[in-house]
Amino acid sequence: MRLLLSALLRKPLRTLLTVVSIALALFLYCFLESVLYAFNVGVSMSSASRLVVQHKESLAFQIPISYRSSIRQCEGVSAAVPMVWFGGLYKPKDATGEVREEFFAQFAVEMQEYLSIVPEVVVRDREQLRALLADQAGCVVGDKTAERLNIRVGDRIVLRSQIWNQPGNKPWAFNVRAIYTSDSPSFDRTMMLFHYKYFDEGREFGKGMIGIFLMSIQNPDRFQEIATAIDRRFENSPFETKTVTEKAFNMQFVQMMGNLQLLLRSIGSAIVLTMLLVAANTMMMSARDKTREMGILKSIGFTDAYVFRLLIGESLVVAALGYALGAGLAYGLFNLAEVNPKPDFFPIFTMPREALLGALGIAALTGVLSGIVPALAGMRLKATEALRSV
Amino acid sequence: MPEPIIQLRDCTKVYHKGGERILPLDRLSLDIEEGDFVALMGPSGSGKTTLLNLIGGLDSPDEGGLIVCGQNLAELSPRGLARWRSRHVAYVFQSFNLLPVLTAFQNVELPLTLMPLSKAERRRHVETALRIVGLGARMHHRPDELSGGQEQRVAIARALACDPRLLLADEPTGDLDAQSAQEVMDLLTALNREHGKTIIVVTHDPKVAQCARRQLHLEKGVLARDTASEPARRGGA
Repeated sequence: MRLLLSALLRKPLRTLLTVVSIALALFLYCFLESVLYAFNVGVSMSSASRLVVQHKESLAFQIPISYRSSIRQCEGVSAAVPMVWFGGLYKPKDATGEVREEFFAQFAVEMQEYLSIVPEVVVRDREQLRALLADQAGCVVGDKTAERLNIRVGDRIVLRSQIWNQPGNKPWAFNVRAIYTSDSPSFDRTMMLFHYKYFDEGREFGKGMIGIFLMSIQNPDRFQEIATAIDRRFENSPFETKTVTEKAFNMQFVQMMGNLQLLLRSIGSAIVLTMLLVAANTMMMSARDKTREMGILKSIGFTDAYVFRLLIGESLVVAALGYALGAGLAYGLFNLAEVNPKPDFFPIFTMPREALLGALGIAALTGVLSGIVPALAGMRLKATEALRSV
Repeated sequence: MPEPIIQLRDCTKVYHKGGERILPLDRLSLDIEEGDFVALMGPSGSGKTTLLNLIGGLDSPDEGGLIVCGQNLAELSPRGLARWRSRHVAYVFQSFNLLPVLTAFQNVELPLTLMPLSKAERRRHVETALRIVGLGARMHHRPDELSGGQEQRVAIARALACDPRLLLADEPTGDLDAQSAQEVMDLLTALNREHGKTIIVVTHDPKVAQCARRQLHLEKGVLARDTASEPARRGGA
């Protein structure tokens, strides 16, 4: 152990730089995996017992709210909640009095029914919940957005939608009646939800039309049968529907960014690989510098196997330190300190466990690959040759 | 009569360099008694270091037999040879070859980590070895905090720590000034006389060779002369 330590401290600056370069590469890997996870998290938070009814052609088209009663009549459907994407911008003033634009997801929903079929949305304070249901202009905001934008219960917030206008181009005003949180770590805690009725009465156009119905079904195993029955009901109507699982619905958004993800992964992988190759090369050079020391150890009586273990051990320790630093920093930042580099774009930004394991695998591979060649050479090296080297 | 500690019989070593066949040792036969102090001399390329490496088990002859400390080295596996070396042989090199990040104490302790000794026993051995070489007060210094002569004395202490029967020194004074060289040779002489260590020194320096009892002159891989040094013989008598 002392020899291993001494080998690492022989050129401390080189060891430090090697550790830092591995740490940087692994941090980058963890960050990249966290970004990709953030893209996909909507899929993982989907419930198997929820379906989504949307326009057959595209989400850009609306469907009438009058379909609701027809959908509810389908066997196996327990609830159908209308939802409309609001697309509003929040423009609070900061401490210096400057106005800034903030974005977060907002939906107009049938509140009571929505809360009953999406139990992931948790309003802990019963008073807040009562006030939310009682106030038609009330809204509930996710705790992460509330914290980020310093929104409190009782605040009146004003949004300007990029889609929906009120007569006279009046901005939309809402009363913050509740803050929600979630017990599910993968559920979006950045949304704002408000009453569909308030929205529908206020909007200038599109009245009676909604974006999607979020449905809950009694038996998730029957989703195909139910989806087919609903879509058949609206066949040949002006607004044909497509019914999919919540997971498949969320997957559409991920697939829209398919090439972006591939691009990100390719560029990231190339950078990580390059940095690791540089680190591995440095570690191999460091091992080659120790040829004479290997000769000394062998002349003293240390075995070939010991020399092998020493050299591979050094590489593994350097890689392990790089892992601890890089992955540890990423874990600390994204999972403990909950740093989100783009909170308005990524509702959830955490490093998945798979990234930690992946980084561990990369670190182990770097350690073994960079150590195996000099370790084998060191093991086979004859002491007489080693002692002749300068 | 006791058996010699080193017995070489028709030992030949061959190297091939650029298609050329080099014979650093050519059917060399030699006996060295236990407790002897031998200087190996000769021009560069005469086979001195090759012979030292064969005796220390760092290299093996291509032909011939070699028995050191009662062990036929050809019978040992590489692992067995390493274990044998750690118990019976110690090296002192021209360039000291201390590990730079370890203190004098830790450098001397290094070969002892291969022995089944407790920490306290290791400490005792290290302190004894450093006291013998006169560096008891500098045991926590790193090599770069020591003079060349002191570094070589630490290297000798490292060689002594395991109490080997055989001490092999390859030009141990080559990198030292005259005074340090004399101190090192005095130390080796004392180890030979007072502790009964068998010492073989490779050297170009006639002054160093004079400290030895026996001088072996190699030329082109064969023993050209085998002489006894009078002062050493008188001193030993």
